[in-house]
Amino acid sequence: MTSQQPLFQATAISKRFGGLQALVDVDAAQRPDELLGLIGPNGSGKSTFVNIMSGTLKADRGEVWLQGQVISGMPQHEVARAGLSRTFQAIKIFRELSIMENVTAGLLGHGIGPAAALERAREALDRVGLVSDTTLKAGRLGLFDQRRLEFAMRLVARPKLLMLDEPVGGLNPEEIRAMIALITALRDQCGIFIIEHTMKVITSLADRVMVFVNGRKLIDDKPSVVLRDRAVIETYLGA
Amino acid sequence: MKDLHALLILSFPVLGLFAGDHGLVTFIVGLVFINMLLASGLNLLYGFSGLIPFTFAGIAGISAYICANLVIRAGWAFWFALPIGCIAAAVVGLLLSFPAIRLRGFYFALSGLVIQSALTIAFVYFPAYTNGDTGITSIPKPVVAGMPVASPWFELLIGAAAAIGAGGVALLMRSRIGSTLIAIREDEDLCRALGIAVTANRCLAFFLASLMAGLGGAIYAHFVGFISPRGFDVLVSLNLWLMVAVGGRGTVTGPLLGALILTPLPYVFQQYSWLKDVIYGAAIIAVVIFLPGGLQSITFRKSA
Repeated sequence: MTSQQPLFQATAISKRFGGLQALVDVDAAQRPDELLGLIGPNGSGKSTFVNIMSGTLKADRGEVWLQGQVISGMPQHEVARAGLSRTFQAIKIFRELSIMENVTAGLLGHGIGPAAALERAREALDRVGLVSDTTLKAGRLGLFDQRRLEFAMRLVARPKLLMLDEPVGGLNPEEIRAMIALITALRDQCGIFIIEHTMKVITSLADRVMVFVNGRKLIDDKPSVVLRDRAVIETYLGA
Repeated sequence: MKDLHALLILSFPVLGLFAGDHGLVTFIVGLVFINMLLASGLNLLYGFSGLIPFTFAGIAGISAYICANLVIRAGWAFWFALPIGCIAAAVVGLLLSFPAIRLRGFYFALSGLVIQSALTIAFVYFPAYTNGDTGITSIPKPVVAGMPVASPWFELLIGAAAAIGAGGVALLMRSRIGSTLIAIREDEDLCRALGIAVTANRCLAFFLASLMAGLGGAIYAHFVGFISPRGFDVLVSLNLWLMVAVGGRGTVTGPLLGALILTPLPYVFQQYSWLKDVIYGAAIIAVVIFLPGGLQSITFRKSA
């Protein structure tokens, strides 16, 4: 049963904002052993999809399961407690709090106070390779380290699925390479789902890629197949 | 170290009790302690949770009126009326927080102004229980062993209540709840993404802070012996907010320091009441522009 049960499954997700149909009957699922990617041009519904998955938005229709548990309809903090954790496109950390306080905050919602969380927080910081004075204010870290801190804040609660919204945004080429290595290394910690709008990162990371266009799923296949797909090429390079 | 500072500031007014047979000084000492208690409660919301509760004085008033009514009309002992007043204030505070708790920053403050105004009007328009604008006079002092608590002891008792209140806030802020409130103050969207129940934690902060408002309000009624709607209007809320801001929001010592400095002002400048308003106005501007961390940030620099 466990080998067949998907990590997450979303069925017929639809969402409308006024006159804009943001998502139309989107089905998606991720196997426990794969890294799933999502790409699409601006306004294709990528962020709406993640917002619905993580409980930030309510879908008009459709359901989401996380390892067999229905999570659609739950408030966001309960979705996070159930094991689906997300990052944001723009970096979001507690800038005025220390690095350690940031990481231990990842366990506050799980009923574990800062004092009891220290060891697990150090473990999570080790895992993302953030070796720094943990009493430092998080806002003083560089961009790449802030991204790593975001990961540690989630990993400390041992999520089942980590959804990363454009994790390489704003990074330089060298940092992008390091980020790809880091995400690859995190694969044995939890399931990883990545949104990107650039092809390059996703093809080097993902086992399978979904392409959204105008709120619909255009294709869902291996990166090599997606890259050769005529409709995808037209969307990205212009017809 | 910081606890020592808090203790120092808390015990400073006690010196006033040795001023000899000076009624006004002992009276001010009592008020300082009451304001320390109230400001510490307000700090729980403004300093640690990032909400400016302009309803605070109104909530204290609810407890004051309930406690005074139970003692005067129903003949209850102060000690039994006090917890009833506190709990009533906490429940009302919690209920009043529901419509506003999802608002942020400025809009939350604005909603508080409206609710505070409604409470003040309520105090005026239910004269059967509040005696309207005239207020309730001759509220008796608490009785211990058949005797009303006399002057230096009553002030010391209030000082103990302030110490317990400030100590309670300090302990709370070192717990998981405290860390959660600070995280929510810093970024509530991020908190939700990390699994933190933002609304529930804010409601808890409101309940606890309102409990402290209730305690301060009831003690005020029986210490001063007179309550009227003006004693719990929006200006009182603003004064308490100013104490927290001047002393230093988000610290345990801040509200104690703010109450210690600002409470005696109106009595020091009794002949020049306009001067008090000038000082208050200047204090607001100075703190907002030059000293967002309050006085405690210069007086007691954080040791590393």
